[in-house]
Amino acid sequence: MLEFLDSPRVFHGIYLLGSLMLFFIGLYGLLAKRHLLKIFVSIEIMELAVYLILIALATSPGETAPILSDGLLTFTGMADPIPQALTLTAIVIGVAVTALGTSMAIQYHRLTGKVGVGEMTELKD
Amino acid sequence: MTLHFTPVWFIAVPLLLAFLSPLWVRLRLLMPILLGAHVALFALALSWIPTVRVAPLLETIVIAPPLGIHLHLDAVSLLLVALFNVAGAVVSAFLWLSHAEPHLRGRPAFILILLLIAGSSGMVLTGDIFNLYVFLEIVGVSAYALTALRRDKQALEAGLKYLIVGSVAAIFILFAIVLLYLQTGQLNLAALARDFGHIPAPMQALIGLLMLIGLAIKAELFPFNFWVPDIYRGADPEITALFSGVLVKAFLFVLFHLVFLLLADPAVARTWLMALGATTMLVAEAVALRQQDLRRMLAYSSLGQVGLITLALGFASEATTAGALFHMVNHTLIKLLLFLLTALMLRRFLSVRLADLQGLGRAMPLAAGLFVLGALAVLGLPPLSGFASKLWILKGFAEAQVFWPIALILLAALLEAGYYFRWIKVFYAPEPPVTAGQAEGDWAYTPLLLIAGLLLLLGVAPFLLEDWFVQAAKALLGRGAFLESVLGVQP
Repeated sequence: MLEFLDSPRVFHGIYLLGSLMLFFIGLYGLLAKRHLLKIFVSIEIMELAVYLILIALATSPGETAPILSDGLLTFTGMADPIPQALTLTAIVIGVAVTALGTSMAIQYHRLTGKVGVGEMTELKD
Repeated sequence: MTLHFTPVWFIAVPLLLAFLSPLWVRLRLLMPILLGAHVALFALALSWIPTVRVAPLLETIVIAPPLGIHLHLDAVSLLLVALFNVAGAVVSAFLWLSHAEPHLRGRPAFILILLLIAGSSGMVLTGDIFNLYVFLEIVGVSAYALTALRRDKQALEAGLKYLIVGSVAAIFILFAIVLLYLQTGQLNLAALARDFGHIPAPMQALIGLLMLIGLAIKAELFPFNFWVPDIYRGADPEITALFSGVLVKAFLFVLFHLVFLLLADPAVARTWLMALGATTMLVAEAVALRQQDLRRMLAYSSLGQVGLITLALGFASEATTAGALFHMVNHTLIKLLLFLLTALMLRRFLSVRLADLQGLGRAMPLAAGLFVLGALAVLGLPPLSGFASKLWILKGFAEAQVFWPIALILLAALLEAGYYFRWIKVFYAPEPPVTAGQAEGDWAYTPLLLIAGLLLLLGVAPFLLEDWFVQAAKALLGRGAFLESVLGVQP
């Protein structure tokens, strides 16, 4: 009954819609929230949406992981491995940036007791 | 054993030296290594000039392009890599020879400066768009950490702001790269350039827009540069010298490299890019007029020059492009000089606000003199190098019979004169200076005098590098030659 979900067009459409929603949720959070950690969460959500688009649209239903193993001796019907490699790299980079950001936010909070970007006034004349 | 020189060294050597930093700490060699690495890589860059003049050098990593990753060393990337290493050498010499604060002489600063230069070199050398993203993030992370290195309120606030803005820019760039890959199945820049024309037009526009937003934030173009003065105000001036001299130049190069490669006819984007450059220039120069802090003033001045370079590169004629590349080199040298002078003033006066720098000319005559020299070079007065490069750009526009950019550039120079002389007037005011900090030894001025000498030399004898700039402009605009050298076919 739900076979129509397996057609690549519908499958990609659902993922695209979902990830774009995620992207705009992240963008909303980035613009509307003032708390530093919420901003980092929003940035992470936007990043995840981009990863999801890459992975989902580069893969079609029925494709297997690009690994040769028992019974799988040729590269047929396998997903394109490049997007997965790219996404892994991008995730690592994203984690590094977020970790740096959070540690800086913690230090800033310890020094000033502030948590919001709206309260940042040290650099104004 | 013969050593095999390859362009990978520009990236690998700084990374290796950074990873070996505990060793240098133990041997007390941090600063000599930092300076030595940049000087050695600069010499290496110079040794390649004859090779690159004949044909671009392709350094394949494991598999040949377009499948594998490669580094593309042509006249323009060589020029920028050489420039970045000069900037790195000047800043490290300054840190070594002057009484820099401990956090700028320690291991974290050593590692981060090397990463910054390595990442910037990687960004201009790489021939693969995903590698570009990785280098961009390496540069980004080291820049955020360098900004916050002082770990006081101001530095942390600047670092946080930079990190948030920078990560958002990186997401937009990543989004554009993902769409490019999904549309073409390619990551190699040359293959992307070949296939970009086959993408449906609305998708082309979307990719272009996302890329432009991301890179305009990173390259500090209006209206995406609202964050820049805060960062330049909060970070140490020695670090901002690197941002203004190296980072912005690398991102500007990436922006225009992609524009010239992906668009078969750059005239499509010409009006937009020139308008972006012109607005950046005029807005920044106008706002700079009323700044009370030297760092903020220099930040706006830097934005103004970035706008000028964008205006000239966006026109995409050979003369303006060559002039713009020359101006890029000049601007890097000038801003290194001015920001390092700011660092010296900050140490002596403990503040660089206009009101606190009264009579600086008497307390630090050499610094005030060098500041005047740098200001005149920014304005483009002969015999300084700013004159030669601005003249080249103006001549390029005049030859093409386009006169409105000339009027705007001259207007911007007038505004610049206004705010630079406002500061110079204060420096030579008759009031006695109020110095609170310590005086610097003469050694701190050595790298600054070296830059001043270079500015004079390039102003008196611009023909020394003229040929290189023309070659570089040809390489930057030469889409066909780029595709042919990588893919082996004429598009």
